[in-house]
Amino acid sequence: MAGERSSRGGPGSKTRGNARGGEKGGPRRGMFRRRKVCKFCVDKVDYIDYKDAKMLLPFVPERAKILPRRISGVCAMHQRKLQTAIMRARQLALLPYSTD
Amino acid sequence: MSQARQYELVYIMSPDATEQEVADLHTQIEAIITRYQGGLVKTENWGRRKLAFRIGKHREGTYVLEVFTGTGELTKELDRRLKVIDSVIRHLCVRVDEELRLAERTRARRDAETQRRIARGLPVGGRSRRADDDGGDDEQTDRAEV
Repeated sequence: MAGERSSRGGPGSKTRGNARGGEKGGPRRGMFRRRKVCKFCVDKVDYIDYKDAKMLLPFVPERAKILPRRISGVCAMHQRKLQTAIMRARQLALLPYSTD
Repeated sequence: MSQARQYELVYIMSPDATEQEVADLHTQIEAIITRYQGGLVKTENWGRRKLAFRIGKHREGTYVLEVFTGTGELTKELDRRLKVIDSVIRHLCVRVDEELRLAERTRARRDAETQRRIARGLPVGGRSRRADDDGGDDEQTDRAEV
């Protein structure tokens, strides 16, 4: 039952849950959820380079849309930087705007 | 405050352009930079690359990167010139000094933090503070330091 109710949820700090209004979610006891960690924080990346298309590629899956951070687990600061990097890379045709 | 601004300019030349044309454009750009009292920091030729999508009728292009310091007028002039030249199919000029300085500063701060932690014999946080949201033990150690 808990499984039905729980949305996919964010990377799940308590504060985030509250900020969202806490409509659903509730206490997710006993649900297995891997904690998502920001890849850039772990690797201590300070500057996300738009010229490094290979590094940006995992964040633009098949349709070439930017992966939302509720899925990737990237922290807000790095998601912002990632966004500008991806948009710059797109202007230079290093990354596609869309694919199909 | 009045530190020179650093810019990165990437332009894509059409694949039909010869080596000579690429070199010519590079010298032209260099001339413009020196005319505006700027300085060329480095230049890189990435060679031929496949484009992620078609630009006009092109599927690939020659990428060239120039890093330089200068003023806003210089970038304006470069922008204008590159727009006119037909063999350049795309270009992008970005100011980078602020971002790089910010990255440098955060790195320095983190290094200092690590040094401090080592000096006090505390566990060195493998995770950065932003990454962990349930760092109960971290909070305790932080409080103990104060």
